Amino acid sequence: MEVLEMSALVPMAELGIEIVDRPAEANVLVVTGGANLKSRLELENAYREIREPRVVIAVGSCAATMGIFKGGYAMMGPIDAIIPVNLYIMGCPPRPQVIINALADAFHLNSTDLDALLQTPEGFRGDPHVDHSKCMGCGACVHVCPADAIDLLDRASERVVRFTRQDCIYCASCADVCPSQAVALDYREKPWFRHREASRSEATLTLETCLVCGAPYAPRDQMRWALTKIDETLRMDEAVRAKLRRSVGVCTTCRRTSIAEVRRAKIILASLATQAHARRSAASGEPATPRPHEKGADAVEG
Amino acid sequence: MTSVEQRQTLIVYDAQLCTGCRYCEVACAVWHCGRIDMRKARIRILFSEHDSAERFAAVNCQHCDDAVCEAVCPPEAIQKDEKTGWVMANSSKCIGCEMCVMACPLTVPFFDEELKVAVKCDFCFGEPECVKHCSSGALRIYTKDEALRINERLYLREKD
Repeated sequence: MEVLEMSALVPMAELGIEIVDRPAEANVLVVTGGANLKSRLELENAYREIREPRVVIAVGSCAATMGIFKGGYAMMGPIDAIIPVNLYIMGCPPRPQVIINALADAFHLNSTDLDALLQTPEGFRGDPHVDHSKCMGCGACVHVCPADAIDLLDRASERVVRFTRQDCIYCASCADVCPSQAVALDYREKPWFRHREASRSEATLTLETCLVCGAPYAPRDQMRWALTKIDETLRMDEAVRAKLRRSVGVCTTCRRTSIAEVRRAKIILASLATQAHARRSAASGEPATPRPHEKGADAVEG
Repeated sequence: MTSVEQRQTLIVYDAQLCTGCRYCEVACAVWHCGRIDMRKARIRILFSEHDSAERFAAVNCQHCDDAVCEAVCPPEAIQKDEKTGWVMANSSKCIGCEMCVMACPLTVPFFDEELKVAVKCDFCFGEPECVKHCSSGALRIYTKDEALRINERLYLREKD
């Protein structure tokens, strides 16, 4: 459908593209959809029939990675498992504008007006552009991605967040949730690739180790983000802040299983509550109730 | 002092009274997700067999005024309810970044693998099940002022 739509957008004949009925008349095979038990044979036959040079173009997520059909009982794999693929065009489905541009790019066709077509219209979602340097490795995008296009791989002391554009269905869920705005949906890159590997990009983040057990625990950037946010938002005296900063450095498993850590945490929270209470009392004009354990008023508020 | 201050009640845990029956965890899990699954409990009891001085500890939400989880939440899904004083996690706003899990010293919020969001104690909207089912009276409800005093006595008396 998207391929037919192309002819409405641009004069195909002027570019030298002609859509033919039989494979034997063609040089280029455009495949949409993955290979299943039934289509596998058709695919092999069509590839055998097309004329040299045989060019195969995989259009869309399903052709490239099987998309939502991944794991289906009848699926034989992405089409490059059956026949060699020369060009992958991303999208679910790719826009006709993208397909025609990819064709023009691949075959070095005259494409004066085509670039303008690629621009995403105002108010529409574009192609995902990931700025891996902004990623802090929290994994929020991994949970929401319906296409499983984002993987979180924890290796010894680093975390790899890998984005596979071939799987992306352009739903923008990742852009919605990303707390560090690392994903933007606009036109910046050309969403087609000659090799499968080229569609992958990844961020490698250092994992901080737990202060107690020494196991790799959370990405350094995420921890910094949390600490900065705490510093910006919460008022407390420096002794409590130091304790709180330390507790963020202890892994959640230790904090959950050790009685000593729970006690430390409760001390932190009790001091926070006391200080907040004292501040409010001071603000409302009431004298803060003197507490027996306090050694002077400066312990409450600096 | 605002009216919320006076009205709000808090759960206070007394480790001296706790027997470690974990009935609070069961009650919490059943109330929140309808089945006995300790991983879903918003309250957790820890016990050690060696240390007799500190035999038990509870991870229970303190519904802080300056909540750390609220401060770090990027989509502002965790917010302190102004009327009730409860620190509530809005699961439809949560993005699952686990920032709150990392920030809360007690790790009260936890990541629910099933729902893919962080969940935390919501005070059972007024009548906490853990307190209702506590067999030994270790979990009790106090007014905020009382709770503050008790926690000070329990945790701030001797400085570590």
